[in-house]
This record gives sequence, structure tokens and C-alpha cells, in this order.
Amino acid sequence: MGDKADVWQGTLALMILRTLDTLGPLHGYGIARRIEQTSDNLLSVNYGTIYPALLKLEQEGYVASEWGHSDNNRKAKYYKLTRAGRKQLAKEMWEWGQATAIVARFLSPKESV
Amino acid sequence: MRKLRAWFLRLGGLFGKERKEHELAEELESHIQMHIEDNLRRGMTPLEARRDALIKLGGVDSTKEGYRDRRGVPWLETLFQDVRYGLRMLRKNPGFTAVAVLTLALGIGANTAIFSLLDAVLLRLLPVEKPEQLAQVTRRSPRGDDSISTIFTNPLWEQVRDQQQVFSGVFAFGDQRFDLARGGEGHYAKGVWVSGDFFRTLGIRSAAGRLMTVSDDQRGCSGVAVLSYSFWQDHFGGAPSAVGSTISLDNHTYPIIGVAAPGFYGVEVGTKFDVALPICATAIFDGARPRLDHRSWWWLNIAGRLKPDISRAQLRARLELISPRVFAATVPPNWLIDDQKDYRNWSLGTAPASTGIFGGRQQAEGLLRILLAAVGMVLLIACANIASLMLARAATRHREMAVRRAVGASRLRLIRQLLIESVLLSTSGALLGTLLARWGTMLLLQLISTAHEQLFLDLSLDWRILGFTAAIAVITGLLFGVLPAFRSTRVSLTDAMKGSLAVDPERPARFRPGRWIVASQVALSLVLLVGGGLFLRSFIKLATLDLGFDRANVLIMHGEPRTASIQPDQWLATWDEIERRLGSVPGVLSVSHCVVTPLSGSQWDQPVHADAPNPPARMAADVYLNGITPRYFKTLGITLLAGRGFSAQDTTTSPKVAIINQTMARKFYPHLNPLGRVFRLEGDQGKLGDPIQIVGIVRNSKYASLREEDYSCAYFPICQAPGFGGGPNFLIRTSVRPSAVLSLIQSTVAGVNKSISLQFDTLARQVDDSLVQERVLATLSGFFAALALLLAMVGLYGAISYMVTLRQTELGVRMALGAAPGSILRLVLRDVVAILVAGVVAGTGIALLSVQLLQTMLFGLAARDTLTMALAIGVLSLVAFIAGYLPARRAAKVDPMVALRYE
Repeated sequence: MGDKADVWQGTLALMILRTLDTLGPLHGYGIARRIEQTSDNLLSVNYGTIYPALLKLEQEGYVASEWGHSDNNRKAKYYKLTRAGRKQLAKEMWEWGQATAIVARFLSPKESV
Repeated sequence: MRKLRAWFLRLGGLFGKERKEHELAEELESHIQMHIEDNLRRGMTPLEARRDALIKLGGVDSTKEGYRDRRGVPWLETLFQDVRYGLRMLRKNPGFTAVAVLTLALGIGANTAIFSLLDAVLLRLLPVEKPEQLAQVTRRSPRGDDSISTIFTNPLWEQVRDQQQVFSGVFAFGDQRFDLARGGEGHYAKGVWVSGDFFRTLGIRSAAGRLMTVSDDQRGCSGVAVLSYSFWQDHFGGAPSAVGSTISLDNHTYPIIGVAAPGFYGVEVGTKFDVALPICATAIFDGARPRLDHRSWWWLNIAGRLKPDISRAQLRARLELISPRVFAATVPPNWLIDDQKDYRNWSLGTAPASTGIFGGRQQAEGLLRILLAAVGMVLLIACANIASLMLARAATRHREMAVRRAVGASRLRLIRQLLIESVLLSTSGALLGTLLARWGTMLLLQLISTAHEQLFLDLSLDWRILGFTAAIAVITGLLFGVLPAFRSTRVSLTDAMKGSLAVDPERPARFRPGRWIVASQVALSLVLLVGGGLFLRSFIKLATLDLGFDRANVLIMHGEPRTASIQPDQWLATWDEIERRLGSVPGVLSVSHCVVTPLSGSQWDQPVHADAPNPPARMAADVYLNGITPRYFKTLGITLLAGRGFSAQDTTTSPKVAIINQTMARKFYPHLNPLGRVFRLEGDQGKLGDPIQIVGIVRNSKYASLREEDYSCAYFPICQAPGFGGGPNFLIRTSVRPSAVLSLIQSTVAGVNKSISLQFDTLARQVDDSLVQERVLATLSGFFAALALLLAMVGLYGAISYMVTLRQTELGVRMALGAAPGSILRLVLRDVVAILVAGVVAGTGIALLSVQLLQTMLFGLAARDTLTMALAIGVLSLVAFIAGYLPARRAAKVDPMVALRYE
């Protein structure tokens, strides 16, 4: 097993939104699995923390849930992105981009004379 | 915005829990199943697959916990949990709960009752538009005594009204009682004269018809009437036809133009008005000498609403500025020159009026504060009782606390839960207490009202009273709960889990906090007993005072000549005829009529110039006067000591005579025989009246107040007494109860003139009414003292019982070793006496210090009166000793085997 960093709680919501944006409606297990995969197994997600985070997003109106059936015909609760959620995702992605750009400028190698 | 939405959903998450739990369980189950399937596909064994899935999830229960925390509002949910648990615990102990709630209800209820009175009298804002803008106009004499008066004459009012320029609206008002009946026994309505701008300035709306305006209040008006809403309801049944009909007041009819909005009772605290008439209408009432131009008839209050840009300081300045002009223009011409000079120097001032106009504010404030202090002490004693009870009860919950601590509850959480239990108790007590308070205040108002002056207060619940009760509930709950909560959560876990002891073995069997609590209860009760005893003895002294006359079975009948339109020169003859006829009514022993009746609240006094050496100084030369008929002294049972009484020989034309009382004889004619001597009355502008010869001396009797001593009194034949203008007062002594001959008397008077308005009272009740304040104080303080004593007794009994229980093992051992029951008794009694002594000493100290505050209200007693103190200590010690003796006796009688087996 490699070294897995702990997930930063604040960005969990962002990752969930992004996952739902990319993959469309998905159940809790699928979202958790996908986040782990996308991080190339460098992130260790305690799967249980997904659910409170999903609930928070639902209360804020960024995702909506409904019961459906999985591929194996198993009953599961599916979450999908709402329009407000899409807007919030775009906003947060832009903010992250700004933040990383500024930091990158500071950390960039010195210009050669 | 999103956050708000989230919060609302979280609050909603408090409901429908079961369904959501079910959903969550399903979701997690399906999550685990999917994970297991994936693991199986990857090649794990079913056992490994499941284990791996569970580990990756992070634990089903902690996931659920995290979810639940997010779904609802956690601290609110634990609060509800604690409340439910507390209710369950209280239900398990119905006896304790009932006693505690009842005790608290009495304590909190009494506090709420007194506070409602305080609120209604001193704090409640007038139910008018923007009451904080109102201000009252006052006047003050700059000389010496600094007293402020709020009463004005009509000329002064007109001056102030025209010159003020700082009010957006200014008005004047004065009390008047009207008789609604047209002769015979009077049915009275409370009236108020108001200036035209009264209703508009206060912003009162009409409930029917229209209200008075400035055009209704012009000189020479015929008068209109505005009813109050409650009077309209009570008297006219709220019929719309009342507006436009007429009302008869003192035999004058007025058209009713409208009704004021409900909830408006007038501007004066303590009364409500029934009907309002314009000031100009007094001309109709007063007849020959109208008060509108009278420069020394004081009857109006003045108040107004400040203009929005005027401050109180500017108001004061403006009033000061116009004072010289105002007073110079209204100097009373019939005053002494010196007094006129003083008058010109008077100044106008201002007082706040947002809570209404209240003449007796100072006095009431003092009284109410004392009552509040007393009732607060009762509540403290009640709290002490409950704290004591809870401490005892806490010992039995020792095991429960230990288990909960062991399972993981923090001490803080336990304390919080116990405090919630306490607050639940006090809240229930407060709810019950609010009910008790409503009855209590109504009862109190009845006590304070007299026959003539029905006290009225708007006692509806307002936010201040509710807030006060709620605050008291929470504070008392915390107060008596804090100590037991802290003590009972201080548990040593191992000891508790080890033993089968329900009782904390570590707690010293002396129950130290309990003893301190009971000792302080005893101290507070002593203070209340001393206070109650002082007021009671004071009242008894007043009530059993020798009045100088016999008050039993005397009917007072006041006749009002104005309404009957009898000409003034016919008055004397009419009254004499009535007196003559009444004398022959069966059941009547003796009749007389006079100007002033004893202890009626009214008085007539003037300075006297006597022809004797060394006359008293000017102020001391003031003498109470009365006009009487010959049978006055016989009717009242006052002894004639020397000379003669009045008789038929004293008429309007015969030489003026007078009978004086002992004090006047002593003060004006020391060591001389006053009979035959002459004095003169000093009237307007210092002019001396005709010489009056003294023909008799009578025993002293009370005139204006029970508390007065040593004042001079002179009586004249009523036909010679200077015209007074008011109606006569008939004193009728009957052989049976006065009410039995009432209708006979009424018909006799009707036989002479049937439209004279009559008002009846008994002399006994009139005397009682003059003692109203003392009676109320004595009753209330006595009640509170008794209540405190009862609570302290219960507290002491409980504490000693508990202490005995704690020491059962020790006592059992002693008895088994051969101690006599008597020595066991003495052992326990030592504790009782120790507590008693500590409490009495502390209580006596506090009482001695604080009782001086009451001196002004007492009569015939020093505040530190030793007899009262000794009595209080005696009663308390006796009662408390009995309360402690009973459990002690029980302890001495217990079978030692039972005591030893108690584990």
C-alpha cells in the first residue's frame, strides 16, 4: 500500500460536485470509488464521510437525490447535480484556478537572466 | 441564502426521524453490498470482502452519527432528550414533585402578584399614542419646604395654555363625582372634566360617535358628554343608540356625543373615568360662583405632548420663563399681602407623565418596595427548602450518576441535565404561580379599596410581567439546583460500582450544606416574623385606639342640596326639618347633622385669635372647626366636661357661641377658665371675624386622622357657622343595625324633598377605611411571615429527618451498646438546637439592622421594639423546636437491629 494523504474536508464537496458533473447521476458508493480512482489512489477517502457531505450539499440545494436501481438491479439512492449545483461548481473551479495561479507565480523557478 | 435554506432543512430534520433512519440504514446497507460485490469480483473471500467494506466505510455507526449530526440540530436534540429525561425522573417521584411545585407556585406567585402591582402603578406606560412624549406641568414655591404641587386653578390653566408654545397639544383635567340618580340614594359615576384638546393630544380614537374637540370647550357652552368604553358597556349595554341619547349627571342632562376607544381608562393611575365633560360645563354645575374665574379653587392637572423638536430642558426653560407672567396675572385678590407676594414668586416645572399621573407615587413606591422585599425573602426560603430536598434526593441517585459517568457522559452534561430538571420544576411552579398571582392581585385590590374609592388598575398581562415571571422561574431553578447538581455529580466511580450502597459513603454524615440552608431559612423567617409582628401590633394599636366617641351603630347620611335646586336661604330650614322627622323614625335613638364627620378625610380649619395672655404662635393657632346641631355630642357619645351644650336659644341672630375641646382649652387658656372668654376667627386677608364666646368644653375626640394627637377643636352651632356650600352630614344613631332602618330613613327624607341626592355610610366603616393602608400592611406581612414560618418548619423537619437517616447506623450501634433512648434524643436535639441558635442569632442581627426602615409606617411602636422581637424569637423557637423534635423522637424509638441492618 502506498502513502495515502488524508482528504481535506473542505474540498470533498468540490470533488463530489465535479464527479457528478462528469459522470452524471451516481450513488454514494460510486462517488466515493470514483474520487479514489481519480486521485490515482493517492487520496484515502473514508467512505463514510461522503454521506454527511452529500447531505450538506442536498440541504444547500446543490444536489438532489432519488431512489433508483443500480446495474445489478440493487436499490440505491442516486444523487444528481442541480442547476444551482452546476453554477456553484463552475464558481468554485474558477476560484481554485485563481488561487493556484497566484501561488504558482510565487513558487515558479527564478527567471534566468 | 443557501445557508439559511440549509438551516431550515436541519430544523425540519427534527421531525420524521424514523422514516429517515430507515432510509439511511437502507442506503448504507446498499453501499456495503455494492462494495462487497466489487471486492468479490476482485477475488477476495466473502469474509474478507465484508470486512474490507466495513473498514473502508469507517464504521457504520460512526457514519450514522456523522449523518445525524448534519441532519438535525444536535444541541437542540440533546436538550429535548434532557427535558424528556427530566420529566420522567420527576414523574417517578410524584410526592417530591408535588411539594416542590406547590412551594414554588406560592413563592413565585407572590412575587409575580406584587410585581404586577408595581408594574401597573409605576411602570406601565399609558395606553395612548407615544406616551414618552408626554409631560406634566407642576408648580413649586421657592420658599423653604420645596414641595411640588400638581394642582392648578382655571385662570392658571388658561395662562399656561396660551403662553407655553412648547407643546404640540396641551390639556387639563380634574376629577368630579356625578350622581346618576335623580334624588334618593345616590348611584355614582366617576367623571372627569377635560379641556377640549384632551382626546386629540393623547391620540385617543372613538369607538362610537365622536370625541370632544376644542370647539366643545368654549365659555358659555351647554356641555356634551363622552363615555368611557367600559361605562358604555356596563351601563348602556354597548348599545349604539346610546350615542345621541342623554345622560343625567347631578340632575343636569347632557347629550352623549361619543364613546372613547376600549383600553383607555384616563390619565390618572389608580382610577378609571366613566364620563368626560368639557371644563366649560362647570359653569352649569357651580351656579353662582363658578370655578372658571376663581383664583384659589385648585382642581386641575395640566399635561401636554412635547413638540418633536423640543427637549425636556427646553420645556423646563420655557416654563421658568413664563412663570412670572403667568402668576402675576392670576394673583388671588383675597389672600394676605404676604401670601400674594409669595404667589408671584412661584415657578412652573415639569414632571414625566409617560406612566400616567399619580399623586401618591412616592408613598406607593416605598410600600411596594417593602412588599417586594418581603416576598423575595419568602421565595428565597422556598428555594432553600427545595434545595434541601434535592440534596437529600440526590443521594439516592448516586448509583445512577456513577453509571452514567462510567458510560462516558461528561460531568458537565450531567450537571446540565440536573439543572434542566430544576428549571422544569421552577417553570411548572411559575405557571401555577401566575394563576395564583391573578387571584392574589385581585384580592389585594379589594383589600386596598375603600367604600368610596374603588381602586382600579389595569392588571392585564403585559410582556414585563411575563418576562419577570419567566426570569424568576429560571433564576430560582438555577439557584436551588446548582448546589445539588454539583454535589451529586462528584462521584467516585469505583466506590459506587463496588458497593451496594445507594448512599454516597464519602459524604460526611453531618449533611453540612443542609444545615446551613436550614439555618438561613430560620434567620429569614425571623426577619419576616419581626416585620409582620411590628405591622400587626401597630395596626392593633390603631384599631383599638380610644376615638373619643362611640362608633357603633351610627349611620352617616350625606345630602347634596345642589341637585335638588333648593334655594340657599331654605337650606337650614330643610335640614332642620329632616333632622326633626328622622328623630321620630322607629329604631332611631338620636339624630344630628354637622359640617364635617369624624375621620372622613375632609377638614375645616382656620387660625384663631384668643383673648388670653401668651397666645400660641401663628402655626399653632390653627384650630379644627365644625358646625353642629345640639344633639351632636349625644349622638356620638362625646362627654361634655364643663359649661353647656348648644340648644334652641342659639340661633342665627343670637350672640355667637362655641364649644371647645380639652386641648384647645389647655393650649389657648392655660390655667384659666375658658368659659365666658371670647375668640375670633381669622379669615380672608387676615381680617378677624366677630367675637365668639366659649360656652362649653368637651372631651377630645379624633377629627381628621387616627394618628393625630394634641390638636385643638372648636364647635359652632351650624346655623351660626360660616356658609360652607357643601351638603350636610347627618349622624343617625340607631338601636338596631343601621341597614335595618335605611329604607325608612330614605322615605322620611323623600317626604321632605324627594330630589335630594343621598349617600349612606356607617361611622364604623368610615373609621375602618381611614386605616386601610395599615390593615393591608398588617395582613400581608402577617401572611408572608406565616408562610415563611411554615416553609422553614417543613425545611427543618425534612433536614433533621434526613440527618437522622444518615446516622442510622451510628445510632443503631450506640443503642446496641446500651445507650438509653433519652441520650439518643439529646444527641439529635443537640443538632437541632445548634441550627436554631445559629439561625436566630443571624436573624436577629439582620432584623435589628433592617427594621429601622419601617419606622415611618409604624404607630406607637419603636422599630426595635423588644417585646415584638422577643415574641417573634419565642414563636419561631417553639415552632422550630417542635419541627426538629419529631424526627429526633422517631430516631430514639427505632429498634437497634433495624438500624444496624440498614445498608
